Amino acid sequence: MTVSPDDDFAAAEYALGTLDASERATLAARRLREPDLDQAIKAWEARLAPLAETVPEIAPPGDLFPAIEARVRGRAPEAQPTSTVVALERSVRRWRAAAIAASLVAALLVVGFAAREATRRSAPHEYVAILQKDAASPAIEVTVNLDRQELTVRPVLAQPPQGKAYELWIIDPKLGAPRSLGVFSETSRAASLSGLDPAVVQSATYAVTVEPPGGSPTGQPSGAPVFVGKLIPVP
Amino acid sequence: MTIRGEASGDRPSAVGDDLAPLLSRTVGRDAAAFSTLYKRTNAKLYGVVFRILTKSDVAADVLQEAYVRIWDKAGEFDPRKGSALAWMATIARNRALDEVRRVRPASLEDQPEGFEPAAEEIDPLAARERSEGLARLIECLKGLDEEKRAIVLLAYYRGLSREALSRRFGRPVPTIKTWLHRSLAQLRDCLAS
Repeated sequence: MTVSPDDDFAAAEYALGTLDASERATLAARRLREPDLDQAIKAWEARLAPLAETVPEIAPPGDLFPAIEARVRGRAPEAQPTSTVVALERSVRRWRAAAIAASLVAALLVVGFAAREATRRSAPHEYVAILQKDAASPAIEVTVNLDRQELTVRPVLAQPPQGKAYELWIIDPKLGAPRSLGVFSETSRAASLSGLDPAVVQSATYAVTVEPPGGSPTGQPSGAPVFVGKLIPVP
Repeated sequence: MTIRGEASGDRPSAVGDDLAPLLSRTVGRDAAAFSTLYKRTNAKLYGVVFRILTKSDVAADVLQEAYVRIWDKAGEFDPRKGSALAWMATIARNRALDEVRRVRPASLEDQPEGFEPAAEEIDPLAARERSEGLARLIECLKGLDEEKRAIVLLAYYRGLSREALSRRFGRPVPTIKTWLHRSLAQLRDCLAS
């Protein structure tokens, strides 16, 4: 195992279930990008899993199988939409390349601003996150421009179930409960980040839930996220 | 998988690992196998999620999502890493934990409805039917002090957070965290030995 002792405890508590909402969301996002952490969580799940044998059976209310069958019918086996991931990686690379090219041009043309350019590179103002359930699923692309305090969310092959909408949440321990950044569906949409601490915007976890068309009636996510991820800087 | 104890009767037990072939047929999109898998395991998985969620409508939704996920992920089951039931229960339990943390963290934890918590706690040390993996885990659990063992078990069965455990056991949250870390490290080392 190659995770730090702290990460192994976090993995253990994730598997046991004792983390609070934001710690759990953060770890769920990290495991998508950190295979060692993902392995550590799975190892802990396997250690504790035999306890499930001791849980007494309870009959669920009614026959839920027809509803389950309806939901899985016609679903293709997973793993083939890797093209999505490739496309997204390409998109991230394109972002990076464009940003690098732009800053090069700026540096060449406006030599006097070289110092300012250097600061810009050390503190990037543009960020991108690919929110995904796992590596082979459709995704939501989130881009953040800290200068303009603006966020843009764009679904990639992702579509909410009929009659439902997606709602984007920013999750960070400093914010307490998850905070809504608005409702969207198939098309991209911009949201304002004014009033949010830039440090929180950079470090937070972003999650998308499925909600009624106007958004969650309670102001809090009404289900588990279907997409989750964190920002990375666009250099 | 070995079944120990006197209660290994002729009822098809969910503990038995004849579930694994059903899972591998599910990978091949075999709807009949998936249906049998549901029939054999739904009461067990519902028991797992209901204890955490304590509300039958929420638990029923989570159970449905868990089976959709089992259908999607069946190819990831690795029999070398545990039983099919343990794998399926982990998926269901994770969905229940996501739900209980993200939806109404306080109310679900504080107001269990539907059963008497005191009367319903599970004592795995009393389990008569044990797979090899469970027998080893129980031996290691016996190495923990009684209160620390109770904390780990309540966290597992009820999905309680550190805060909820702190209220339940009348101990400060940092103490609960330290105890959890020590207990889990002890379990890890014991299971590895």
